[in-house]
Amino acid sequence: MSRLRAWLRPATAWADLGLAAKGLVVVALPLAILLGGIGALHLSSRAEAEAERAVRLTFAIQRDIHEVHALLAEAASGVRGYRLTGQEAFLEPYTKAEALLPLTLARLRASVRDPEIRARLTRVDALVIQKRQGLAQLAAMPGAGSQDSLTTREVAEALVANKRVLDGLRAEIEAMQRREGQLLDARRARADSERSRTLGLTAAMAVIGLLASLAAVQLLFSGIVRRVRTLERDAERLERGEPLTTRDHAQDEIGRLARRLVEAGELLRRREAELRDGEERYRRVIEGVRDYGIFALDTEGHVTSWNVGAERIKGWNASEVIGHHFSIFYPPESRRETPSRLLAAAAADGRVEDEGWRVRRDGSRFWANVVITAVRDEAGELQGFSKVTRDITDRKRAEEALKAARNEAERASMAKSEFLSRMSHELRTPLTAILGFNQLLDMDRELLGPDQGHAVEQIARAGGHLLGMIDEVLDIARIEAGGHTMNPEPVRVDELAREAIALTTPQAQAAGIEIRFQPGEARAWADRRATLQVLLNLLSNAVKYNRRDGRVVVEVRSEPSRTVIDVRDQGPGVAADFVDRLFTPFDRLDADRWSGAQGSGLGLALSRGLARAMNGDVLYRAAEQGAGSVFSLVLPTRPVAEAAPSRSETAE
Amino acid sequence: MRVVPNDATVKAARILAVDDEAANLSLVEKAFAREGFHGVVTFLDPQAALADFAQTPPDLVLLDLMMPGIDGYELLDSFRRLTPVDAYLPILVLTADTNVRARLRALALGARDVLLKPYDVAEMLMRSWVLLETRQAFQRRP
Repeated sequence: MSRLRAWLRPATAWADLGLAAKGLVVVALPLAILLGGIGALHLSSRAEAEAERAVRLTFAIQRDIHEVHALLAEAASGVRGYRLTGQEAFLEPYTKAEALLPLTLARLRASVRDPEIRARLTRVDALVIQKRQGLAQLAAMPGAGSQDSLTTREVAEALVANKRVLDGLRAEIEAMQRREGQLLDARRARADSERSRTLGLTAAMAVIGLLASLAAVQLLFSGIVRRVRTLERDAERLERGEPLTTRDHAQDEIGRLARRLVEAGELLRRREAELRDGEERYRRVIEGVRDYGIFALDTEGHVTSWNVGAERIKGWNASEVIGHHFSIFYPPESRRETPSRLLAAAAADGRVEDEGWRVRRDGSRFWANVVITAVRDEAGELQGFSKVTRDITDRKRAEEALKAARNEAERASMAKSEFLSRMSHELRTPLTAILGFNQLLDMDRELLGPDQGHAVEQIARAGGHLLGMIDEVLDIARIEAGGHTMNPEPVRVDELAREAIALTTPQAQAAGIEIRFQPGEARAWADRRATLQVLLNLLSNAVKYNRRDGRVVVEVRSEPSRTVIDVRDQGPGVAADFVDRLFTPFDRLDADRWSGAQGSGLGLALSRGLARAMNGDVLYRAAEQGAGSVFSLVLPTRPVAEAAPSRSETAE
Repeated sequence: MRVVPNDATVKAARILAVDDEAANLSLVEKAFAREGFHGVVTFLDPQAALADFAQTPPDLVLLDLMMPGIDGYELLDSFRRLTPVDAYLPILVLTADTNVRARLRALALGARDVLLKPYDVAEMLMRSWVLLETRQAFQRRP
């Protein structure tokens, strides 16, 4: 295990190396090996050149040795010639040798390295000097060119000595040449071996370079390419939604990327699972809705999903209906036109709502409320439609019943109005003759006795009273029947109060009653005529049921969202037991207490009816100070949505 | 004591009264007689009234609206058809219908005035006199 780890360590280190470093290694490795090879080659070729130079030097040494020998031999032969002939011309090789020998010997000394040859060279040097001296001596001896020039003893001795020197020299030179020959062989062999070594090295370098390149490619492949391919495969798996299995623990970029990819895959799977859960929940919710038929259509109108509600309402189950065009839900008469019109409207406006008859699977019909909504993707492209259908047949029936009832009520109300109209007509017609003939009698008053005149007056008064009562009864009946149409508008209450006061003033003056007015700058939302009628009735009552020389005070007040007109008298007020009956028709209370007070007993009931028809009211309260009553007309300041009469805390 | 001015030519006028209530016709007759008018003819039957109108055009018509058979509105329409375009033949409607729409409709169909029953007899006489005087003025024009 530990050995395995030790073996794995460099591999791990390589894997952990950054991509830039890996690239550097991959590129540098063959390059370094190449450089090393070039260095080695260079060294090797330098050794080879050195060996060849040594061979060339050996040749040069051999040449020089040979030259020394040749120069000496030619000098000796020249000197001998001179001795024999005495001609100076024979001395030329000698002088040439004298000039060249020191140079050649110096060159040899400079170039020779071999100790053996050096030793011989030293000896040769000495011998050459000896020889040169010998030759110089010989040349300088007298008798040159004579017959005995070679026979004198001295000359002979010199010649012999010279010959010995020359022999010694020759022996040395031969030995040197032999030695150089050996050296040449050795050096040639070395040069050859150097050359073949260089060749071998070059071949080895080529092989190593190739291997290094292969190694670099392998490193590149294992360290980068293979892992990038793995990454690519992982990405594909990710795309397909398969789980990732990559176990790349390297710390470099690819390793990190691989792990990120695994993490991303995990995240994606988790999100997908959550999404699936959500969708599943959502689907179950929609499918579980029973009261609404909820289903989806494609862009053409074919059903693509179906819930329990739809099955319950329409009778088809999902497998029977999916794929069919939704026009099958429509009755034959609207099947052709309505579905396409609704889809076009939903596509254009985003949503369309419709009500109408639809058919169930068994052919029965139901009244449906339908909402079709266009479903669009993020780009706004139409994907299809969602359709929510409700069976509102029961509601429809209830509405129809309600409508019928309302029509019936309206008819009844109209019949009642009609009846009241006829009633009025029928009551007024005989009164015409009664009052008319009575008036004719009255016109010829001088022909009547006093009792008859009184009778005529009584008839006129009672007839007038009857006529007033007929009008008031019919007004009340009309209000109760709802047939009294109000035309509410913004009215200035002060104006109407002044008008009512002006109309009541003659009656008040006759009774010695003073009317005072306290305006209030108030407006009301009311019917002008009805308001005036109520004010006239209240004022007339306040005058009628006042004390002698009493006072009536009319006060206009503004209260939040309503206007109040108080009509205050100084009469005895209303007894507590009668307050409840004050607004009841025909209840004239203890009217007999009021001598001369005329009334139908309908005025307050009519006034309250009119006020309530305007969303107002008429209220009673006892005067705060002293005796007297306060009747208040309450009116709204703005239109009231519902006919809710404004109630007051004041006792009625 | 007379109600209307004493003018013989006006009082010679032929007045046609139509009502389905005999008492009312009687009232009209008596009222006018008291003022010296004697050309009052009364009809309970609208059909007969129409025939008479066609035969002898009156100077004034007193007409009730709500009647069985031919009602006042139809009579108004028929009278208008029977009247030459350049003639002034006033019709005073006497009705017990309190609805303002009834009065407006009558006036639109050619009535010159409307009185609500029960009416003041003196007022009825005065209005009739005004209408007759206007008719006379109309007839006197060149």
